[in-house]
Amino acid sequence: MPKKILIVDDDPDFVEAVAMILKSKKYDVVIARDGNEGLEKVKTDRPDLIVLDVMMPEKDGYAVCKELKADPRWNRIPVLLLTGVVSHIPTTRYTQQMGMETEADDYLDKPVEPEILVKRVEGLLSK
Amino acid sequence: MALSNGKGLFESSIILVIDDDQTMRDGCSRILSKSGWEVIAAENGQKGLDEIRARGEIDVVLLDLMMPGVSGMEVLERSLEMDPNLLVVVITGYATVESAVEAMKKGAYDFVPKPFTPDQLRIVVKRALERKTLQKEADFLRRERERSLRDISTEKSKIRTIINSMGDGVLVCDQDGIVVLTNPAANRMLELSEDDLLGKSLSKANLPPELTSTIRESLTMRESAYTSVSQELSLGTCKEVYLRAHTAPVRTDVGEIMGAVTVFQDISHLKELDKMKSDFIAMVAHELRAPIAAVEQQLNVILSKMAGEVSENQERLLSRAKERTQGLLTLIKDLLDLSKIEAGMMVQYKGPLALQEVIQKVVDLMKGEAESKGIDLQFSSMPQTPLICADRSSMEGIFTNLVSNAIKYTPAKGRIRITLGEEHGQVRATVQDTGIGISKEDLPRIFDKFYRVKSAETQQIIGTGLGLSIVKSIVDAHLGSVSVESEAGKGTTFILSFPKEATPLGAEKAKE
Repeated sequence: MPKKILIVDDDPDFVEAVAMILKSKKYDVVIARDGNEGLEKVKTDRPDLIVLDVMMPEKDGYAVCKELKADPRWNRIPVLLLTGVVSHIPTTRYTQQMGMETEADDYLDKPVEPEILVKRVEGLLSK
Repeated sequence: MALSNGKGLFESSIILVIDDDQTMRDGCSRILSKSGWEVIAAENGQKGLDEIRARGEIDVVLLDLMMPGVSGMEVLERSLEMDPNLLVVVITGYATVESAVEAMKKGAYDFVPKPFTPDQLRIVVKRALERKTLQKEADFLRRERERSLRDISTEKSKIRTIINSMGDGVLVCDQDGIVVLTNPAANRMLELSEDDLLGKSLSKANLPPELTSTIRESLTMRESAYTSVSQELSLGTCKEVYLRAHTAPVRTDVGEIMGAVTVFQDISHLKELDKMKSDFIAMVAHELRAPIAAVEQQLNVILSKMAGEVSENQERLLSRAKERTQGLLTLIKDLLDLSKIEAGMMVQYKGPLALQEVIQKVVDLMKGEAESKGIDLQFSSMPQTPLICADRSSMEGIFTNLVSNAIKYTPAKGRIRITLGEEHGQVRATVQDTGIGISKEDLPRIFDKFYRVKSAETQQIIGTGLGLSIVKSIVDAHLGSVSVESEAGKGTTFILSFPKEATPLGAEKAKE
């Protein structure tokens, strides 16, 4: 039974490319176009992992992540946050600005190298 | 009056003789001229009055009371009306004491009864002139005094007016920290009325606390050198107001502090423009970044052959296209960083920081990239290196930049060594590579914005020329220094130093 991965991103071209990478590794891919749809899909599709974009209109990736991690039903689903703001170490400033720790399980900067994405996804799923 | 006519105190005095008797006029003129006085004669009352009016500088009038036409008494009255300070000596015939007394009552200064000897006349006139001189001196002194008083008060009010009409705010404290002067601009900027400030001590004046402490510091400043502190204040109850305040102590000739002067400038509009500029750059950069990131993602998928087979030619072209998008993304990232630094956002989370951890993290992240190029990347740190006071993500940015530069410009089989230690009371880090190096001509400019070394070797390397200028801005914002040593073909070493954090080592752990 292939693992199911939910991609939440508002950029359709980006989603298509990421979906292609994951599909080539035989993952089941579900797509959501924004944060709210993402939260809906978590409930309906029960993904094994979420690839979550940070920069989205209305509900951004941080907010989605925070909601998921606060809910005991979903907080065990690993979240891979895709950031596009700062280069290699994206979390620090956000953490400091918000005075809180984002609870994403891993981070990658957009755009991602396909091999690295696959490796990180494998890593998170085998935990 | 004599002074206002341009005649000095001791210039020759003018005496007017009014008498209808030719012999008397000539006699008096002769006698008085001998004493060095100037004498004018008038043969009747009307002419005499005309003379007084026309000249206006007559010191003494010798007036015959018994004259046809306008009488002596009338001349006396009218001449004193014209000039109350005029000294009139009446000449009375037949020794009529009554008329002399009447004349004196009416304001004549003295009288000479006819007949008189030349000496008698001279004595009377001399006495009158002495009196006149005294009068003039007293008058002169009084005017001098009035003028200097007036000058002082005009000077004071002039300065006051200038200070009050200044666009910049002014606040002056005496050495005890009491506010002694403010101008309307300062009151407006600080949103405090004159009553709120004047005569109040610093602790009660409701000034922004950071300003209060700056003024206190400058009042206790020891060095006799000129020192001025410039700071930005953010105030504002309804709308945000930014002030730049320059505070400097005021010293006496011998260097003692008399007080402190603070000058305020409202820089809100500058701040606003600056913010608009940064916002604009950030907006553009984000809008550019998203599509380019999507394009590169698509290229990544094709190049990884996850979307099907790719011919060798296609792969070469797409790889080059990807390098170009990567270059663009780096440029955008640098622009974003730069706009953040300029907006003061990059380094506002300063705290005690172990540089060792930061560098280790960067090295771990970059290790893969280095290895893929066959470069040996090593980091060694002195144990117990002191903490610095810094913004973590800025520091991560600096070292990421320096290490990725080193990897970019170091050929395969090269070495990169990073060290960290303490030297001369500062925390010192070095990033050394065995790369292509930087020529002497380029060396002074490498920290300039958008400066890139142009050579055959760097042509294939994509960069923006912003990285090192960002490094420099961040280091500056941490009161540190960055320098570079390089030899073309041999390699490059960047040396950074930062002041130690004041709290002792391990304080960060203790806080947690």
